Amino acid sequence: MSVLDLPRLWRPATHQALFRRILDVAARPGQIADLGDLLDGRPAALAALATFCDNTQTLADLTGTLSATDFAFLDVGKATVDKAGFILSVGTAAPDFTPRLGTLDTPEDGATLVIMVDSLTEGAALTLTGPGINGTATLAPKGLAPDWLTARARWCADFPMGVDLVLADATRLTVIPRTTKIGA
Amino acid sequence: MHPVDTMGQTREGAEYGFAFLDEDAKRELRRSIFKAVCIPGHQVPYASREMPIARGFGTGGMQLTLALLGPDDACKVIDQGADDSVNAANIRNFFALTCPGVTGTLRTEEASVIQTRHRIPELPLRADQILVFQVPYPDPLVVVEPNAAKRRRMHGRADYARLWVKLYEDMVAFDEITISHRYPTRINGHYIIDPSPIPRFDVPKLHQADCLYLFGAGREKRIYAVPPHTDAVPITFNDVTFAVENFRDKATGKRHCCRRCGADDSFLDEFLDDDGARVFQCSDAAYCDMRLERLEAAE
Repeated sequence: MSVLDLPRLWRPATHQALFRRILDVAARPGQIADLGDLLDGRPAALAALATFCDNTQTLADLTGTLSATDFAFLDVGKATVDKAGFILSVGTAAPDFTPRLGTLDTPEDGATLVIMVDSLTEGAALTLTGPGINGTATLAPKGLAPDWLTARARWCADFPMGVDLVLADATRLTVIPRTTKIGA
Repeated sequence: MHPVDTMGQTREGAEYGFAFLDEDAKRELRRSIFKAVCIPGHQVPYASREMPIARGFGTGGMQLTLALLGPDDACKVIDQGADDSVNAANIRNFFALTCPGVTGTLRTEEASVIQTRHRIPELPLRADQILVFQVPYPDPLVVVEPNAAKRRRMHGRADYARLWVKLYEDMVAFDEITISHRYPTRINGHYIIDPSPIPRFDVPKLHQADCLYLFGAGREKRIYAVPPHTDAVPITFNDVTFAVENFRDKATGKRHCCRRCGADDSFLDEFLDDDGARVFQCSDAAYCDMRLERLEAAE
C-alpha cells in the first residue's frame, strides 16, 4: 500500500496540515480551527490524536470511542488514565480521575486531554484570558459538563504543572492550554 | 523528477521524503512544539535528529521549520538579518530541495514561516506568520549553574535569584548591565528564557506580538516558545531601565541612519568601508531593499 492509498486522515500531508491548524489555535486560545476539509467524515478528536500519537505515546480511551482499526492506525500504546499521555473522553462524562500533571522539572509530561463536545459555539459563553489572547476571548462549548472546568482548574492550579485541553466537536477543535484562565 | 534548488540547478540523488525528516521525527517535534506553546518559556526536550549540517549551524531551527512546512508555505531564512549569507542561503536551498512546493522568498511580508539566526525582522510580523529562531544556548541559567538537573529545578520553581545577583554584580562592577545580546527575558511572569543572540533592540518585539515565536536548539535538544499576546519582559531592576541600542553619534548626539536607504528606525550594522570610514547600514536586508524600492517608486 502506498501512502496515497491510505485514508486521508492517515497521510503525512494531512498530519502536517492538521498540525499547523492545531498549532494556530493552541497559540491563540478561544480561536477555533475548522478541519472539515481534511477529515473525510472522521471526527476532529481523532484527527488531533492522529497528529500527535505514535508508538512512543500512550492513550486512554475512556469511553471506548475508538475502533480497533483506529487504534491500529494510531499505533499508540494503551494506558490507564493516571498514566496516559493522551486521554480521550466526552464532555458529558464528568471526570472522576486525576491525569498526569507532570512535575515542576518536567511539566511537559502533563497529559493532553482530547474532549469531544456537541459544539464549540452553541453553549454558554466562557471568558478566556491568558497567553495567546489579546485581552479576552470567548468560547461557548455545548455538551461540556461544568465538572470538567472545576477539575481542570484544580489540575492546573500549580503552574507549570497541569493539563492541556483539546475540545473538539464533529469537524472543529480548539485548545485550552494550562495557562488560560477561564471565567464565566 | 529531481528537485531543483533555488539556483535553478537540478539535484540528482536528493529524493527524500517531504521535508527530509521521517514522519516519526516530525511527529515528535510537533508534540514538543505543542507542549512548548502550552507552557510558554519552558524548554521542552526533544530528540534532535542528525541533520546534513553540523550541530551549531542551525539544526534546531531547521528541524522546527521542517516539522512546520507544508507545500503551500512561503519560507524565508535570514542570518543576522541578511538573506544572502552562507548559512541562510544554504538552509533555504535545503528547504527548496527537500520540500517540493515550498516557495523561497526574501520578502518578510510574503513569508509564512521565517527561520532566523539572531534577528527579528524590522517589519512587524502578522498573526499568520511564524518566526523560528536558531538557538545556540537555550538556558539563561547556564552562566550561574553548571548542573542541568539543578537548572531544570530552578526553572520549575522560577528560582532566578542567582541570575539577579549576576545582574547586580554587573551594576556594581560596570554601572550597567553588560549583556548586549541573549538578554534574559521573563515570559508570562514565570520562566526566564534566553531569547537566542538577538540584540537588545529586538527583545521588546517579543512582548505581546501578533505572531508565534518558536525557538529550537539542536545541539542542546530543547524547544521553547513565546506565543502571541504574551508578556515578555527583559529582567532588570526597578531603578535600572532596560535600554536598547540607540545608534547615537557620541559627538553630535544624532542617530546614525542607514547609508543605503536612510532608515532611522532600524537596527544598524556598523563597519568600515573601503576608505576606512565608519558606516552604518540596515542589518535587515529585506527591510532595506523594501525601503529603497519605495523610495525609487516615489521618485
